[in-house]
Amino acid sequence: MTADKPDLGTLEERAGVEIAAAGDLHELTAVRARYLGKKGSVAALLRSIGELEPSERGRVGQEANAAKQRIEAAAAARKGDLERAGREQVLASQRLDVSLRGTATRTGHLHPITHVTRDMVQFFTSLGFSIEEGPEIETEYNNFEALNIPADHPARDEQDTFYLDDGRLLRTHTSNVQIRVMAGRKPPFRFIAPGRVYRHDLSPRHSPMFHQIEGFLVDERVTFGDLKGVLYGFGRHLMGRDIELRFRSNHFPFTEPSAEMDYACVLCDKQGCAACSQHGWMEWGGCGMIHPKVLERCEIDPDRYQGFAFGMGIDRTAMLRYGIPQLRHLFEGDVRVLEQI
Amino acid sequence: MRVSLDWLAEWIELPGDEELSERLNLGGFEDAEIETSGPDLSAVVVGHVKECGPHPNADRLSFCKVDTGSGELVEVVCGAPNVSEGQKIAFASVGSRLPDGTKLKKTKIRGIVSRGMICSARELGLSEEHDGILVLDSEAPVGTPLPEVISVGDRTLEFGITPNRGDVTSLLGVAREVHALIGGEPTPPETEPPETGAPASEAVSVAIAAAEDCHHYAARVVRGVRVGPSPDHVVRRLEAAGIRSINNVVDATNWVLLEFGQPLHAFDLATLHGGRVEVRRAAAGEKLACLDGETRELDPSDLVICDAERPIALAGVMGGADSEVGEKTRDILIESAHFHPTVVRLTARRHGLQTEASYRFERGVDREGVLRAADRVARLIVEWAGGEVASGVVAARGAEPVVTREIDLDVARANRLLGTEIEVAEARALLARVGVECREIGPGVLTGSVPSHRNDLHVHQDLTEEVARVYGYDRIPTTLPTAELHPVAEPTTWQLGERVRDEFVAAGLSEAICLPFVPLGDSDALRLAADDPRRSQRTIVNPLKEEEPLLRTTLAPSLLRLAQQNLSRQIDAVALFEISSVFLPRSSEAGGAEPLAAAAVLSEPQEAALWNRKNPIPLFFRAKGVAERLLIQAGYVALWRGQTESPYLHPGASATIEVGGHVVGTVGEIHPEVAANFALDVPCALIELDLGRLEAQPRRAKEFHEVSRQPAARRDLAVLLGDDLAAGDVLAAIEQAGGADLQSVELFDRYAGKGVPEGRVSLAFRLAFQKMDRALTEKEVSKSVDRIVRMLSHRFGGELR
Repeated sequence: MTADKPDLGTLEERAGVEIAAAGDLHELTAVRARYLGKKGSVAALLRSIGELEPSERGRVGQEANAAKQRIEAAAAARKGDLERAGREQVLASQRLDVSLRGTATRTGHLHPITHVTRDMVQFFTSLGFSIEEGPEIETEYNNFEALNIPADHPARDEQDTFYLDDGRLLRTHTSNVQIRVMAGRKPPFRFIAPGRVYRHDLSPRHSPMFHQIEGFLVDERVTFGDLKGVLYGFGRHLMGRDIELRFRSNHFPFTEPSAEMDYACVLCDKQGCAACSQHGWMEWGGCGMIHPKVLERCEIDPDRYQGFAFGMGIDRTAMLRYGIPQLRHLFEGDVRVLEQI
Repeated sequence: MRVSLDWLAEWIELPGDEELSERLNLGGFEDAEIETSGPDLSAVVVGHVKECGPHPNADRLSFCKVDTGSGELVEVVCGAPNVSEGQKIAFASVGSRLPDGTKLKKTKIRGIVSRGMICSARELGLSEEHDGILVLDSEAPVGTPLPEVISVGDRTLEFGITPNRGDVTSLLGVAREVHALIGGEPTPPETEPPETGAPASEAVSVAIAAAEDCHHYAARVVRGVRVGPSPDHVVRRLEAAGIRSINNVVDATNWVLLEFGQPLHAFDLATLHGGRVEVRRAAAGEKLACLDGETRELDPSDLVICDAERPIALAGVMGGADSEVGEKTRDILIESAHFHPTVVRLTARRHGLQTEASYRFERGVDREGVLRAADRVARLIVEWAGGEVASGVVAARGAEPVVTREIDLDVARANRLLGTEIEVAEARALLARVGVECREIGPGVLTGSVPSHRNDLHVHQDLTEEVARVYGYDRIPTTLPTAELHPVAEPTTWQLGERVRDEFVAAGLSEAICLPFVPLGDSDALRLAADDPRRSQRTIVNPLKEEEPLLRTTLAPSLLRLAQQNLSRQIDAVALFEISSVFLPRSSEAGGAEPLAAAAVLSEPQEAALWNRKNPIPLFFRAKGVAERLLIQAGYVALWRGQTESPYLHPGASATIEVGGHVVGTVGEIHPEVAANFALDVPCALIELDLGRLEAQPRRAKEFHEVSRQPAARRDLAVLLGDDLAAGDVLAAIEQAGGADLQSVELFDRYAGKGVPEGRVSLAFRLAFQKMDRALTEKEVSKSVDRIVRMLSHRFGGELR
């Protein structure tokens, strides 16, 4: 309590200045105690009310209490400001280098072949084709004879074959699945057979192992036109847009008529580019109507039933989709490559 | 096959290059393409000499201004006497390259800058002429690349032949296809020879002993030839087809081979013994010195041409050296014959030969073409080498070849196969274009007679293909099949494989695909026991690489090699998996010899992580964690057992995985010896799963369990136990002893060392108790904990710490 007893207005004004000047919470607490504490100025002032005329007491008391509340509010507001400022300061000091990499669990990557195979399978299962698999070690019969490729026929030269010591071979195409599936099944049916196949060939454009998907549908009425329709749909699904297909006459012993199919290069729109070797077209696979002799060998009456079959490489589609320049990248298992896709 | 385009143009009228190659391509000529051999003149353009005057400082030079289509006139100095204003000329600008390799630069000639060159034919590599610049047609458009306005080299048509189409391996065959697919009428050359000499039958007789193997054999005799070089155009055209010129007689046989597709052979008549030619199987032990300089041992599967004493040629494959036509040859015998395709193929294959002749015989030669070719070649020999053609042909016939002569085609059936509505008359016309003449034997049913050169047509579907091919596959309407709807089925192992792929990827591993070929030493490198079934690898008899003749029985070596290769590329840590069939020995016909396997390799990270963990997860547990989660997610309940006997895993850091009472795989760190064998200097762990076996095991369906809303009571328990105890067993025992309220128990610390007696280890468990309907009392929790402590003490000799 001061000797000269400042009046209420002066007191409140001084308190306001000191509260505003409090630089931190500690100072503010001190200022608050000085004015609002039990021994503070306001308390002293209130205590001195008793010394006033009774008629004055009520008015002065009210004014003093109002002033006290205003000082309280000012102190609280200042406290809020100081706390906010303190928080800001802490936050400012806690700035992370957000350019550092996040620490999410490392993600694995499916192989490009798996991605493309799944995509292909998805399309055909949506059309009701079931999946079939066959062995990779196959008999000559299932790989060749049953598919109308007789022994000692030049067609055998086209498929450089790996032979095993027991006379079996590594299948040169997934068409062996056709034979295994059709034999003993009654049409109508439709299947796809994705899988690995082998050719005795190693060059920048070839790998001794690669992937094919085979598809076939046998029914009483199924036409070459239907085959075209399914393949157009397939192409659209794979490339994500309408594509132009071209069917070239060709010869496969197990289909008649047979065709080789190309799609208009999706990179250059038939203008010719490095990807399509300047041809404007990319080879996609072979297809045709299943040869009556193949149906006969599987005990399906070729006068009643007919069917289409097609087969294409999966690897090239994967290369095209991801811009992989060489086949070898797919089978070298380089983590730096695998983790890109 | 390659054939000179100019030569083909003599046989049939050709459309533009692009149309020709495209139509042939669509019609079945694989990769038909027209190639231009000759200098690359694509940088040389047509120029127009706008001004031409004398060079101010040189009498013999001219100074010209040339319009090259660039918009500005180019100033050049020209030394040729024949340059003049208004000419269209071949202009090479600064920066372009001439065929001889020189790159043109801006030069100053007698004080005047010349920016390019007006070229002569010689400078362009087009001819040896050098009397001045090449003057082009006055209509040639300025600025056009030169190859578009003049022919700058030999053009050849190149295409692939499918094995069924032996009939297109000749100019005649290609011309027939041009007729069928594009139009025009083939005009074959004259074949009839001028017969002036004594009858051929006086010089030679022909006999066929192997009647099934040789259907027709014709011999012609030409006397008094002068063997020498062939005319230039003959050499060029043979070369364009990839055949080396030998002499005018041999070249004539090859020329006719290219014309008609009929292989021919010329013998030096003087070398034939006994004036007799016989076609027979070789006797065992006979030998033949062939034209390629090698002497071959023959056996009865070989078909040979013999004179009265010995073999003189491998029929349909290659002639003999003794009877070769050379400079001194005066009289020759020409062979034109039709051999069985399979016999020729077997003979050629047995001797590792493929010749122009065997290539054609294997694919089928026109059985009616023997005499035509014999005539034609005699005519050409006289034309090129002189001499006299003996009158008559000496010929013999063997068995009639088995051929299809007629095929019936129901046009409606063809339409049903194709999805077209081709009229009967149109089908008939389309077939006529490929030489199949038809007559209608009933409503809509045609009988087509198969021409003798088409040995590939047998069934009505073959005719349907011919109809479609000429009609155009692009004109067949595109439709979609209508068929019964059946639910789609996926093989169960396929499904599991896909599932496992996703789980590995979710665990941070990437998928690799390896070739299945492995080297001989893998079984030893993996320390496989002598009786380990994985030692029985299947062998490839013709491996691509001699050192990798085996098929893998386990994915382990492939993944270890991948780990090594990637680590050698300084990859921080390897986390790879593969899912693939492995090849086990065939135990029975029933199969199971190619089970689907899954394997993964993980390596210890090499670089300190930025967020340094003080207590990194041991490699084994990282691998086990991957396998554990995978199995749980796929619905399998697995039992883990230590002390695997896997020869390539660390005995103390590996476990076998049992599901449904069967071992379905292993997890473990690599045995140090094996690691060394695979040059792995970083610790690695391997997971292997037999998906075939796993798939056969029962799976637990996922099921809902109610969750409690009551607070859980947690208690930590540190227990001293023998350090040889399996913590997993202790955990299982606690779970059992904890009662219904024990919600979870977790091992959160394992400590041995100061304060823990030798041979003991301190295991700290965190227990959580909870009830569904109410909070547990302190008393209830203590009772449960006491029960657990008693059990630990009683069963494992554990004491509270």
